[in-house]
Amino acid sequence: MSEQSGERLLHAGAEVSFADIESALRRSSNDESKHVSGMALTATVVVAGPPPRLAEAAQALSELIDAGLRAVLISYGDNPSPRVHVSRQTVSLEGLRPEYLNNAVAALRLSSLPTAVWWRGGQVEALTGLAALSDRLVLDAEDPREVWSLVDNLAERTAVSDLRWTRLTRWRALMAQFFDIADIRAAAAAFRVLRIEGSDRHAARLYAGWLASTLHWDKSVVPDLREIPGAPPIEAIALGDGSQELTLRLADNHTCVETAARINGRAPTSRIVSMGNQGLAALVGEELRIRARDLAFERAVAAAKEFK
Amino acid sequence: MASNPLQDGLRLEPTPGPTALVIFGATGDLTRRKLLPALYHLSRVQRLPARFSIVGVARDPMGEEGFRTLFRESLRDFAGAQEGDPVARSLAQRMHYVGGDFSDPSLFQRVGTTLREINSDGGALFYLAIPPSAYANVIEQLGSAGLSRGESAERWRRVIVEKPFGTDLDSARELNQIVHRHFDEEQVYRIDHYLGKETVQNLMVFRFANGMFEPIWNRRYIDHVQITAAETVGVEARAPYYEGAGALRDMVQNHLMQLLSLVAMEPPIAFTAESVRDRKLDALLSVQPLVDETSDTAHVMRAQYAAGWVGGGEVPAYRAEPRVNPESTTETFVALRMQLDSWRWAGVPFYVRTGKRMPKRTTEIAIQLRRPPLEIFKRVSPTSVAPNLLIINVQPDEGISVRFEAKLPGTRMQLAPVMMNFRYGTAFGGVVPEAYETLLLDAMLGDPTLFARHDFVEASWALITPVHEHWRREQAKTIPTYEAGEWGPAEADAMIARDGRRWRTL
Repeated sequence: MSEQSGERLLHAGAEVSFADIESALRRSSNDESKHVSGMALTATVVVAGPPPRLAEAAQALSELIDAGLRAVLISYGDNPSPRVHVSRQTVSLEGLRPEYLNNAVAALRLSSLPTAVWWRGGQVEALTGLAALSDRLVLDAEDPREVWSLVDNLAERTAVSDLRWTRLTRWRALMAQFFDIADIRAAAAAFRVLRIEGSDRHAARLYAGWLASTLHWDKSVVPDLREIPGAPPIEAIALGDGSQELTLRLADNHTCVETAARINGRAPTSRIVSMGNQGLAALVGEELRIRARDLAFERAVAAAKEFK
Repeated sequence: MASNPLQDGLRLEPTPGPTALVIFGATGDLTRRKLLPALYHLSRVQRLPARFSIVGVARDPMGEEGFRTLFRESLRDFAGAQEGDPVARSLAQRMHYVGGDFSDPSLFQRVGTTLREINSDGGALFYLAIPPSAYANVIEQLGSAGLSRGESAERWRRVIVEKPFGTDLDSARELNQIVHRHFDEEQVYRIDHYLGKETVQNLMVFRFANGMFEPIWNRRYIDHVQITAAETVGVEARAPYYEGAGALRDMVQNHLMQLLSLVAMEPPIAFTAESVRDRKLDALLSVQPLVDETSDTAHVMRAQYAAGWVGGGEVPAYRAEPRVNPESTTETFVALRMQLDSWRWAGVPFYVRTGKRMPKRTTEIAIQLRRPPLEIFKRVSPTSVAPNLLIINVQPDEGISVRFEAKLPGTRMQLAPVMMNFRYGTAFGGVVPEAYETLLLDAMLGDPTLFARHDFVEASWALITPVHEHWRREQAKTIPTYEAGEWGPAEADAMIARDGRRWRTL
């Protein structure tokens, strides 16, 4: 997917005033329908964030638009009457003052479609209102500490998740699959040594929070979170007790993970599994397929606050 | 920890516990085209257990390396895997092979030894990807070798049996008896890959998770149902099997009876395997006999394809296909009119047809609703009102469409039918799993919902067998034909036309 696709989503189509968005969309839809067959819409995705982070999101959404998404892209600025571009299934607002974010979303969401908000940072004061307007709120701040402190409150209003959590889906599944094996499960119940390596300390905190909340660790367990600048967000995870260990390590090509279990009295087992598509579009696509409240995430965030 | 706490709240669906998949017929077409690619895809999406092995069993003395080579070739040809794919390489390391004759008891002892070596604490799933004539022997041998009984809940033993399950009612009963001598019914998974398709599973969701369709799902609102399974291919390399089977055994007894039962079933009390399968069985048991005993007439017509033109090329007649008897009366097309004896469906005919060498490959269920009681637009609109239609596309373009009438834009009151379409391929993004992926995983997880139970198979044969007996009594030397590339013979059109209806043109 080229950067041009994202650019097209952000700036292509007719430039209209905010009040004319719906009629412009209708015209655009009529023009397009002469050339393309109809498509069922499945969700409205609202992306809000500072301009540099919005371009990246637009590129990801352009990959999902064929899956029946209606996209609303809102970049922050200081214009009370921001520039608006509309094309068949996209509305982009450039330079909206953050305090008007909720007003814009309220006007642009469709009651007939689920609305997911992908929040890429900004003033956290807007989040409570956004949560009330959305069916799913996907957090994606560069530094999540402030917004994670609000998750309890937001989760009372809508289903909340975080793209960092989405990136951990496969890592979590791989660790869980070890625990499907009775002898590993029996040994691992006593494991208290957790080491996570990677460039994203907050992702490591979240993973540690998930294990701590699920395995009911007390405060004596102190995860060893090793930040490695320039590495992938998570590069390796090891859980053990000093002599026995479960390890997950990203392979050199970064598309696979090598998993290994070293348990006393058993032959070591290892395998290589795919990490699947970890691109932004795939991660957002995963979030859109889930409609339920994510209690495991909420518990993990609460536990992650304990880890520095 | 008795159970796995880390499964709680996982987004990826649960994976089975430690499992060994033992494939009998490891070098066959089904294994190469479907099973090995399905296992590779499951591995890519992390659905296989951390402790998982594949044991290939076949006559060929190829050995472990030979089986791994076959695996690599299968992935290259049918799964689009790249050479050196690390996931495939890792999976190949967990493949084992046991060669020998299926009639030799020592083969099964060696399978048992292999299982103990590689998977002493897990379950074993035996997949019979072998000719149906070998089922009984392999099941007997598994039982004699002590491989059919698990020693604990985690060391479960299950068997997947491919279709066709029997060739008539007697043989199906006999095979069920043999199976039940060694396996309990809950260990037996009779596979019908149609049931692994998303649309087929969605049919239950569509009916029982929506409040708007079930109230009209009955004789009061539905005029009739048409189920079509059309193939463009001819008999291909399957002539020896197909000559003895024909379309009625090959397609109707299994796939189409499953579709019919899903359309016609009453709501189950819960989405559990037994509840769903009980209601499906009820639906099948309500079908009136297909042969009228007093007049010895069948509500079934059969035909065979003649030479014609399909997919841009000329194709030979069935009788001219390699290894087909030049005087064969085996049917390649069959059309049935089925009537269900139930409060819900009394008076609503189900028309079912299937054929080879049709103009296009498609499987669909079309539910035609009754016309409105009063046609108030008859005087003002020059076009007549088309009845509402609900179409469930099973393949190739899985989805659901609804046809309804709308006013054409303009000053005149003119009506035209329009379609609302839902397509799996676009609606949710992501990749729709292949049927075999879904079904293999379900069997490993111990969920039999999408597999046929013994009584369903027997009920289906109880409907089909009298038709074959009727045809035998006819001793027909000829069979109606249809030109390859057409939608069946004129006799099929006449059959439905007698009810004042016609087949949908697909």
